[in-house]
Amino acid sequence: MKYLSFLIFLIILQGCSSPVPVKRNFPQAPGVLLEPCPPSLKSLNSGAKLSDVATTIVENYTTYHECAIKNKTWIEWYQNQKKIFEEVK
Amino acid sequence: MWIVHWLPSWVFYGLLGISIVIFGITYFLRFIPLPFLYTYKIPIQIATVLVASISIYLLGARANEEHWLAKVRELEAKVAQAEAKSQEENVRVVEKIVVQNRVVRERGQDVVRYVDKEVVKYNNVCEIPGVFIDAHNKAVEGVK
Repeated sequence: MKYLSFLIFLIILQGCSSPVPVKRNFPQAPGVLLEPCPPSLKSLNSGAKLSDVATTIVENYTTYHECAIKNKTWIEWYQNQKKIFEEVK
Repeated sequence: MWIVHWLPSWVFYGLLGISIVIFGITYFLRFIPLPFLYTYKIPIQIATVLVASISIYLLGARANEEHWLAKVRELEAKVAQAEAKSQEENVRVVEKIVVQNRVVRERGQDVVRYVDKEVVKYNNVCEIPGVFIDAHNKAVEGVK
């Protein structure tokens, strides 16, 4: 009787186990977004001419615009991925 | 719960049915021409009640298990759908950033070509003072 009650107790305890098999990870960002912006902008050499100044400024503005696009896209990517992630319930 | 996976449902239904039938039979033991059986009436009844209870419990556990497995399958389908959607979003983002960066670079190159063609004419007219270059270079420096 002692062994029987132990067996019943064991079976009842088995009924309590409830594993959670579905595991989810937040998606990995695309490599393009993970590339950092250039560490510094272009500076002028002493004795630079007007055209050098204009070219350097244009190149720096281009770098800024590229980084601004990356930043804007990062925000958009995160918001969309968060929405997709939270849709699954 | 291993026992629920290991044994098929009909085993639990069978055990439940048999235990109910045996429990019913115990009330007619006195009419069976085996007198020693009647002495075991109470232990047999206890055993059949136990077997019936365990069978019902395991049937419930199996039903619960199937319910949760269905939910898991449903969730897995949703997760797969979300992953596909997420992948599509990644592709869209990469395409967008590549196109926009190309436009920005092309515009920059156009302006540089314009500078080389038009602004270069004023190189000798407009001398750039050293203080201007210093101010520009100071502004260019980032946070170290």
